[in-house]
Amino acid sequence: MKAGTSTKTDAFTLAEMMIAMAVATIILAVTVTASVALQRSFTAVDNYFATHMQQIRIVDYLARDVKRGLSVTSSVDKQTVTVQIPRYIIQAGDPEALVNPSLIGTSRPPTLSLTDLNINYGTTTSSVEYKVVGASILRTENGVVTTIASSTDNLIPETIDVELANTEYTTTAITFKPISVADRNGTVVYSTVYLRNRRRL
Amino acid sequence: MKTKRNTEDSGSVLLVVLGTILILSIIGANVLLNCTTRLNTSSSQVRAWTDALSAAETAGDIAYAEIRKSNSADPAIRASQWVGWTQSGQTYTSPEVTLGNNNLKGRTVVDKCYFDASGVFKLGTDPSGNIWYRIRSKGTVPLPGLKRTGMDDALVADGQKHFAAFGSTEMQDITARGKGDSLLRKIDFRYDHFAATYGPKGDGLNKALVPALYAPSISRRIEQIVTPVTPFSDTAIKSATTFYGLGSAAQIDSYDSRKGPYVFVANNPSDPRYPDSRYGSVQINSGVATVKGKVYGNVSTNGGTVTGKTSNVYGSIDNNVPFTLEDYYLPAALSARVPQAAGTGPAQLPSSVTSNKTLTPSTAGTLAAPVYYRIADLTKVLTVNPTAAGTNTYVALRVTGDFNGNQAGITVNPNVHLEIYFEGNIDVKATNLKNANPNTTNPLASNLQFYGISPPRDANGIPKFSQTVSLDSGTPSTLAMTFYAPGADITIKGNPDFIGTMVCKSFYANGNVSWHYDRALNTVGEVLDYRIASYVEDTR
Repeated sequence: MKAGTSTKTDAFTLAEMMIAMAVATIILAVTVTASVALQRSFTAVDNYFATHMQQIRIVDYLARDVKRGLSVTSSVDKQTVTVQIPRYIIQAGDPEALVNPSLIGTSRPPTLSLTDLNINYGTTTSSVEYKVVGASILRTENGVVTTIASSTDNLIPETIDVELANTEYTTTAITFKPISVADRNGTVVYSTVYLRNRRRL
Repeated sequence: MKTKRNTEDSGSVLLVVLGTILILSIIGANVLLNCTTRLNTSSSQVRAWTDALSAAETAGDIAYAEIRKSNSADPAIRASQWVGWTQSGQTYTSPEVTLGNNNLKGRTVVDKCYFDASGVFKLGTDPSGNIWYRIRSKGTVPLPGLKRTGMDDALVADGQKHFAAFGSTEMQDITARGKGDSLLRKIDFRYDHFAATYGPKGDGLNKALVPALYAPSISRRIEQIVTPVTPFSDTAIKSATTFYGLGSAAQIDSYDSRKGPYVFVANNPSDPRYPDSRYGSVQINSGVATVKGKVYGNVSTNGGTVTGKTSNVYGSIDNNVPFTLEDYYLPAALSARVPQAAGTGPAQLPSSVTSNKTLTPSTAGTLAAPVYYRIADLTKVLTVNPTAAGTNTYVALRVTGDFNGNQAGITVNPNVHLEIYFEGNIDVKATNLKNANPNTTNPLASNLQFYGISPPRDANGIPKFSQTVSLDSGTPSTLAMTFYAPGADITIKGNPDFIGTMVCKSFYANGNVSWHYDRALNTVGEVLDYRIASYVEDTR
């Protein structure tokens, strides 16, 4: 008698089970939804930040080259920038390297041009070009190509160079389309850099 | 009975809810942790990389300021030059300086140097020219936290997985980003990669594993060349106010005495000296410049016009070139020295040269420390000989009064380099200014230099008197000299053949002067200041 009574007492009713399952389902759905949302949020933030880092990297590359540049020109569509920089490092094929290959990779001393009184490093300059090719931003120095940024977020750098009476500077604006928003608004990064060795070539 | 069952079931639901909250919290915390760690690491590296250049440039600025101390009018400042620095031969190394709020470190090495007649770089001091400096600076910034790479260096070029789903759009994006950070921002995790790979001086010598100043840290290096600012720079005539001349049959051109004596080639582009022949420029800081003769160079004004025969200007005309000529004072190095004692001996000068005098200094002096004489007036001919035949002799002569009279003059014999600092006026026959160094046929203007000490100013800033320089050529002859007299009104009469340059307050010449600027003057003369002529970053 006691055993029968105990079994009846411990069982759940159908209503209780339904309620419990409904509650559990809701909790599971919330958990899954929240997890997916957080994961998406993380991906979006990560992507946004990674692309933003690429913006900064492009700006830093350009700033480094323009600052030490002798001259800079930007294309009409503002997406190609060419900078002439001092050939400070001896490279393979340079006259010094042909005489003494161990000098490759070392710095070369300056020379003074008696014609225009400019300080030069070597008889030629290095040409650096920044160019948008497809979804990639390429930096080409004397034929050597480096992909400095590339993104399905569609990075678009635009650079203009402004010549003043006694100096020159570049202004760069870079935007992208975040995957989470698909809108360029609010993604622009600006940079202005003055040439330290501005020279009319 | 029912009450008891219900109590047990409620406990299970509570546990499930708490567990769910815990799981969600862990996921959320993980997202935040990942984001902030990557954000902070990358941001720190970006900031440090930028700061490192600021530190290097600051160290360069400190070195530049130290160099400029040599020209200060304050003896205490001049005496403080290089104090606290470590000297080794002609090289000065700064103490390490700490900058800003992020413990930035800057250090710089300054080398005395010069460029020889061929433009080749030499370390040390030029025996016959002014000192240049090479500044090499290094800025270092510590990176906070653990030794981490930047976020884009942990990507998947080698097939490793990133956070996004493999094959997803995000993954393709990540794959395509390239690996740029470590190429751009080179981090020293334990050792100074530069010293280990290229040697401490970057010349490939003495490569060694040197612990980084901080680990991890980022360093950047720059090299600057500092040139002395001398009075003359590719300008035949520079006038702070008005300009008139030269005669209608006159001409101004240029040449480079380092490449040979003067010949007229300004109309012959095929001549190898032609590139040096069109720097006979005229700079006027007034609104109007009246040009009459031919100018094989540029003419510039300060917001004005060029009148007269503008077709005679073979260079460009630019009416937007303002400039300022500061008052000129006796160089600090001379004012601190005691002049040679006055007397009548062969190596002495009387207090005033009122009769013809031949001076033969007892010592040769140097460019930096010439034999220094001081007289009140010069009204007869002073002939200066070298201390011995064939010995370059450097002489500085200060004239506190006037240098004038029909019989007043100067003769500079071979091997003599004479600088005259005049405080009064000059009114002499140009034929009495004879420069025979190295010879009378092709004298070098740099061997006879005149510096006009600017008249003192009153309380209102007005010069107390007008300084004048009047050269009456007399019998036309070759004059080879330079004038730097920013406070003087210069007048030239007659038709001399002139080699050199003049910097003055105003300029007037009506004769048919044949004027040749010597481009060798660009790097000689009294050092007025220093400027940074070149900037390059060592990106290795």
